[in-house]
Amino acid sequence: MPRESISRRDFLKVAGAIGLVAAVGGSLPLATSCGTKAKPGQTLKVGLMTPATGPIPEKGQAGRDGLLDCINYINTERGGVNGYQIKPIYRDSQYSPDIVPNLVNEFMDLGCLMFMTHSSTEMNYAKAIANPPGFPGLATYTSQTNYHPPQHIYGQGPDYGDDWIAFAKYYLSNIWQGTGRPKMALHLLNNPTGKGAEYGADAMADSLGIDIVTIEEHPATITSAIESLTRIKAKNPDVMFISSTPQPTSIILKDAHSLGMYPGMTVACAAASFTKALIDLAGADVAEGVYGAWPTVAWEENVSGMAKAMEYCQKYNPKDYGTAEYLATWAAALIIAEILRLATNDVDYAVLAKGDATAWQAIETHGMQKLKNYSVEGLQGAVSYVGGGDNRLNKLVRLYKVSNGNIVLVKDWVESPYIKYEDYSWFPKS
Amino acid sequence: MDLPAGIRNFSYAQDMAIFRTKTHWFWLFLLMVILFTAPLYWANYWLGVTNLIMITIISATGLNILTGYCGQLSIGHAGFMVVGAYTSAILSDRFGVPFLLALLCGGVMAGLVGMLFGISSLRVKGFYLAISTLAAQFIILWVISHWTAITGGTMGMPVSPAQIAGLTFRSQANKFYLILVVAIIVIYLAKNLVRTRTGRAFVAIRDNDLAAEVMGVNLFRYKLLAFFIGCFFAGIAGSLFASWTGFISSESFPLTKSILYVGMIIIGGLGTTVGPIFGVIFIQLLDVLVTHISPALQSAFPGLSSGFVVGIAPVLFGLAIILFLIFEPRGLAHRWSLFKASYRLWPFSY
Repeated sequence: MPRESISRRDFLKVAGAIGLVAAVGGSLPLATSCGTKAKPGQTLKVGLMTPATGPIPEKGQAGRDGLLDCINYINTERGGVNGYQIKPIYRDSQYSPDIVPNLVNEFMDLGCLMFMTHSSTEMNYAKAIANPPGFPGLATYTSQTNYHPPQHIYGQGPDYGDDWIAFAKYYLSNIWQGTGRPKMALHLLNNPTGKGAEYGADAMADSLGIDIVTIEEHPATITSAIESLTRIKAKNPDVMFISSTPQPTSIILKDAHSLGMYPGMTVACAAASFTKALIDLAGADVAEGVYGAWPTVAWEENVSGMAKAMEYCQKYNPKDYGTAEYLATWAAALIIAEILRLATNDVDYAVLAKGDATAWQAIETHGMQKLKNYSVEGLQGAVSYVGGGDNRLNKLVRLYKVSNGNIVLVKDWVESPYIKYEDYSWFPKS
Repeated sequence: MDLPAGIRNFSYAQDMAIFRTKTHWFWLFLLMVILFTAPLYWANYWLGVTNLIMITIISATGLNILTGYCGQLSIGHAGFMVVGAYTSAILSDRFGVPFLLALLCGGVMAGLVGMLFGISSLRVKGFYLAISTLAAQFIILWVISHWTAITGGTMGMPVSPAQIAGLTFRSQANKFYLILVVAIIVIYLAKNLVRTRTGRAFVAIRDNDLAAEVMGVNLFRYKLLAFFIGCFFAGIAGSLFASWTGFISSESFPLTKSILYVGMIIIGGLGTTVGPIFGVIFIQLLDVLVTHISPALQSAFPGLSSGFVVGIAPVLFGLAIILFLIFEPRGLAHRWSLFKASYRLWPFSY
């Protein structure tokens, strides 16, 4: 009787089948939902906060409206995410360190799968509560301290240091006409918004060939910048970079105008203040020629996601039309939806419905860290998680300029380098 | 203190006791049971809200000693909290000082800084003293923002959770117990302080400092002591705040917070131990209410401009303070004492 032997091909088939069964079986707890249909009433909760009152309502109100309008659009017109309705738990953070920690606690209590902040300062307070239990967060506006070293907080776009680097490169190759190294002054809000730009300059100014001649700080409640601008004027800088919010930036611009510093010197802003509100507050004539970095496209640009954003904004919140915050948070809501879509592809709803540490980990590993070239419907640079300590989901920033009262594009997407800030001795340790 | 109808004291000790009847002890026991079991049935959010309320009560109690009892108006109280917050955070995180010692050091440092700014109280009072304490708020915050090497400057500094005897106070429930115990101690100390010679000296200075001096009260000593004690409590509160949030910066203690503290003790009732408790609970819960109803209001009345809805909080705070000043200048504590009086007289009307 001939001995039955198994061929190499058969062996590979059997081994492959066993391996497949083992792989699928091993991940069963998380993977049983593939193809399952959402049942009525099943929702995915997300915690959202913006500073709708407090010192920067001009940003927080439009930010809130963009977020909630986009989630409304996703739920009503797209049927939610994989059939699950997104349930937004929105709170006004008031930009307050007293309020923010409790809101993060509330989001966790209510079983939110992730949360979102609208400002880097909010996230600085939120991360202290969110990181220890592993509650994942997305920050629309970011400073390096939000996610360096990386834990469970991710940035929707580049941080304020990236804004500075993008503008500095643009300035050197397109504006600077002199010889030697240009002299730059920094006028910074006295919180992560301002410091973020300073960290970018600390890390890159020398290698780029820019001399930072002076750094002035101001509070969010500034009423006059004459004194600080007088000191800056004495240093005779070629360019001034402002990283602040719209209201203080408008005061700095008006005072620079009255002191005769501007026009004459190049002025640029980081993303937090470069918006329609700045032009409204400072006046189109004063803001004329100011450069700014911004992580989204401009209103009415021909990208696939613009039509719905415009439609909802004009229908529900026409006062926000033209504000950069509305578009930025509309894009943030799309990213949140994509994170939830990826997670619900891989993870059983029963796991997510618990809204506990297991669900948070699932959202982070199966949602945030699975993001790969999601286009955000063209509203901003594509988002991907690249790992290696870089928690910025998007590294692209655009440069704009105020021209005849409008914000016009001067430089298309600039990719910002990854800088491991935590390795620098001057970077705050956490 | 009056007693319920039909009850009288038989000794001085009985007369001096804070809790004098079985009913008092019953209510105290019930309150303690509710508070110490709260983490079993309160969500983290409400524990967080309660933690903030208790921290604020500690600070407001200090302000009440300074302003309510001694009559020294301070609108820089949040500035003194900063001193305590940073002192304890730096000592425990950078130098490994045990938390309880760091907490006390934070209080002492805040008290000493308070005394420094309180020196001016011997020469000025009222609005002039208020401006002096306002200067304290700005100077302290300026130092914190610019002493980058020590404080982290405007970026603030992360703070590790409190550790006592190997137990780390990481969760809201753990922090709740820590803050609750400290709050109880502070309220007990404040209650007893005002019944001592020192407390009576404070009240004498508040009522008429010239008369107090004529009676032999050393104004300089007692005013500075009031600043020390008031700011000591602020420092303790700041230290607990730092441990509670896990992150502090100069933005955590703005001028508006100092002004709100004054509003809290006005609404609660100046010069009473329970006043700060009532005032803080009232204002903080109002804040929570506004935070929660704003989105609902916006949804319910889409015709309202968002500016109207988001402006509710400051309007309500201002309105509450104005209404209390007009209709109940002695604050919620007075309402509480009226309620107790009616209870004592029951069932007799007179």
